[in-house]
Amino acid sequence: MDIKVRYFGMIAETANCTEEILSVDKECNVDELKKILKSKYQKLQNSSFTIAIDKQIASDTNKLNSNHEIALLPPFSGG
Amino acid sequence: MRLHYYLLFPEDKKNFMKKRKTVFQEGPIRPAFIANAIEKHQTKTTIGAHDIFLGQVRADEIDGKVVKSIEYTAYEEMAENKFQEIREATFSKFELTCMHIYHSLGNVNAGEICLFVFVSAPHRKTAFNALEFLVEEIKKEVPVFGKEIFEDETHIWKVNN
Repeated sequence: MDIKVRYFGMIAETANCTEEILSVDKECNVDELKKILKSKYQKLQNSSFTIAIDKQIASDTNKLNSNHEIALLPPFSGG
Repeated sequence: MRLHYYLLFPEDKKNFMKKRKTVFQEGPIRPAFIANAIEKHQTKTTIGAHDIFLGQVRADEIDGKVVKSIEYTAYEEMAENKFQEIREATFSKFELTCMHIYHSLGNVNAGEICLFVFVSAPHRKTAFNALEFLVEEIKKEVPVFGKEIFEDETHIWKVNN
């Protein structure tokens, strides 16, 4: 299935875009998505990031679907 | 429309005041804006104590280079939700009269204000405690990203402690 992933901050810089469509297995979960992203973008291997699904921080076992709004978030640095 | 609603249902005013507000502002938060916010509260005479947090951009020196500004971006839709959740959590934890949060997006130079948090309560201890809770939650929970730009236009990405 295809999923749309949004990138922010340092991660958008690494990916050189703010969103893209990725093709993943139907049963893909957050942990598997992280692995896919780390192999696509080597620089992510050494950086910490969290994944949000529909604007909520997701855990590694959460399953993804193509209707989700998926976002990769680097460490927060507001204020 | 909103003003009419107030006039027709004054008892709903308190709830209305606690409704969703926009937090983000483009560029730095000006001292005049802060002064104006204080002035607006002079009609609210149940308030006995205000407490204000102002986050200011530091000209940090990192590996011999000096930070000249921070450029803020955010996952805005999620950040606005988080601000709202934090507002509600703070209102339920502390007896506040009102609360205002403003955060910059875009470029803020060293020495300028990027975060303005303003709480008001009948008594000082409530205001002190609520403000600390609120600022810590904002730093920890809200997806805002600061790019520290050096005088030579190179940059690094800031991480909150």
